[in-house]
Amino acid sequence: MFALFAYVYWSTASFVRSRSDGVIAAAHAVLRQAYDTGGRGGLTAAIAQRSADDRSEGGFYLLADPSFAPVAGNLEIWPPALKDAGGWSNFSARDGQPGAADAPLLRGKSETLPDGYHLLVGRNIDDLEEFAQKIRAALVWAIALTFVIGAFASVFVTRRTVGRIEAINTTSRAIMQSGLGERIPLRGTRDEWDQLAENLNQMLDRIEGLMGEVKQVTDNVAHDLRTPLARMRGRLEKAHARPRDGEHDQSLIGDTMADLDAVLRMFASLTRISQIEANDRIAGFRPVDLADIAREVVELFDAAAEEKGGHLGVVADRQVLVTGDRDLLFDAVANLVDNAIKHGREAGAVTVEVSQDDTGTVVSVADDGPGIPADECQHVFKRFYRLERSRRTPGNGLGLSLVAAVARLHGATIEMADNAPGLKFRLRFPSADAPWLAEPDRTGT
Amino acid sequence: MAGGRRRVLVIEDDPETAEQLVESLSTSGYQVDLAVNGDEGLDRGRSADYAVMTIDRMLPGIDGIAVIRRLREDGIVTPALIISALGEIDDRVRGLRAGGDDYLVKPFAFAELLARVEALARRSATVVKETVLRVGDLELDLVSRTVQRGGREIELLPREFQVLEYLVRNEGQVVPRAMLLQHVWDLHFDPTTNIIDVYVGRVRRKVDGQQAYPLIHTVRGVGFCIRAPG
Repeated sequence: MFALFAYVYWSTASFVRSRSDGVIAAAHAVLRQAYDTGGRGGLTAAIAQRSADDRSEGGFYLLADPSFAPVAGNLEIWPPALKDAGGWSNFSARDGQPGAADAPLLRGKSETLPDGYHLLVGRNIDDLEEFAQKIRAALVWAIALTFVIGAFASVFVTRRTVGRIEAINTTSRAIMQSGLGERIPLRGTRDEWDQLAENLNQMLDRIEGLMGEVKQVTDNVAHDLRTPLARMRGRLEKAHARPRDGEHDQSLIGDTMADLDAVLRMFASLTRISQIEANDRIAGFRPVDLADIAREVVELFDAAAEEKGGHLGVVADRQVLVTGDRDLLFDAVANLVDNAIKHGREAGAVTVEVSQDDTGTVVSVADDGPGIPADECQHVFKRFYRLERSRRTPGNGLGLSLVAAVARLHGATIEMADNAPGLKFRLRFPSADAPWLAEPDRTGT
Repeated sequence: MAGGRRRVLVIEDDPETAEQLVESLSTSGYQVDLAVNGDEGLDRGRSADYAVMTIDRMLPGIDGIAVIRRLREDGIVTPALIISALGEIDDRVRGLRAGGDDYLVKPFAFAELLARVEALARRSATVVKETVLRVGDLELDLVSRTVQRGGREIELLPREFQVLEYLVRNEGQVVPRAMLLQHVWDLHFDPTTNIIDVYVGRVRRKVDGQQAYPLIHTVRGVGFCIRAPG
């Protein structure tokens, strides 16, 4: 800023000076021309005329004889400092101006004429200096003012910043002490601070949502574990009170083991889902053929569909490669097919279809059963969620959560659509040329 | 199988689990040595020739994976079954990478443990190349991929043949569902549905339907077993 001010000062002052020098040079040239054309007489006349005219504008003219005695002009003496040198110089001289207390500062151009006389043309540059001084003063004031405003502004901004940080701190402390209900207040200014506060608030919303889900899951786990455990306990308690009876005991132990297995399977599903959600399987991703997986799943579940008197079909002719984890993709498709067979129409048809186009790859599993009521659609991917009418079919409500987790891991989306009649699930994988799918080897599976 | 091949080393620190392991393996005809911590396991593993060892993943002192790694460094190739309560996929991978041969997650059915130990013990024995497998009056021709029972041909899909072949190759042993899934479908997870049961059920209908006696048996909570009566 100082550099800028210095430049402004310097360029303004030098511009004014060069203009002043230009005026002097022009006047000098005119007088010199008068001398050249009219001789000393013409010059004297011109000087006299100019002295009369230009007096008020600060022009000084002096013609002196070879011994520097003034001949014509409005300066009383030839400035002693100019006696030796020609050309440009600054000097102080008394100009005989009435009321002038000090000798004004002049700048002039002097020349020795061919006849030995001396010509001096000058201007009062007191005004100029004054002007420069004014600029200097203005600049100094500007700098001082900038400092003052800057100081005020920085105090203001700092206090504001500290205030906002303090607001965030206060909220953080409140959250640590009393829970996730608190939010950072917004000022409605839409500035960076508000954006930060908004982002933090959204993060808190997300955390609160996740905590809620975790709590929901924990509650559900507790409930779903308690039910079979209570059943087992009751059974054992009754058996304990009864005399031993080989055949009865045998079936009791068998039932209890089956219940325990169900509990363990539920645990296995839960840990599987959380492992998948931890994303550490991405490292093992390989190119896999979805069509191949679909055919194998259909082959595996064909027996199950047959058992229900239904039909399970597959439309997957050509190879459709995605990068992923074969076990997980198999499990996900298997879960969808399992659901479709279980919850579809008795003796209904289930179709698995794999297709690929520019926008990506889709695996769809469709049944012709009763479908899912629209208001329950959003819940089916939640852990342990089961439709009211499905309570009696086997399952633990974790299948679709697992499918959703596998889909997320693969960057795929899962959609539900009305198959009119029935339900259609679509696993939509991003286009194979998506950058994260780049895989040097696309031959093996 | 030779007597020396049936010796099993159990490395397990929990007394009750150790007792159950020793008991069930002994009942199945194995001679069982028990080591209750990693150091003892290392000593025993180095000193004797075992058919199989089972190693708990979490042990006081040296942990299970380190035990296997050190034994492998010493050139001891005894098949090792890692038993873990952790069950995370990367833990399984770490265990297998350290030189473990199979992995079983607690809690497990003892039938499954026995099946896996048996599979590992057989792995170290010589594999006889056969082209025809027989159980009772069931006959599998591995070359023509055909199945006959009592001289009558049974139509099986290729995958169904594989299932039957795996069961027959493990005749008399319980084959856990997960092992079947692993060897026939090359899938490495425990199915959360009863799909394997349904699939094997269809194979069973084809093999055992309208026959004098059943060959394929379901072992509740574990898997399947093929055996001739008597």
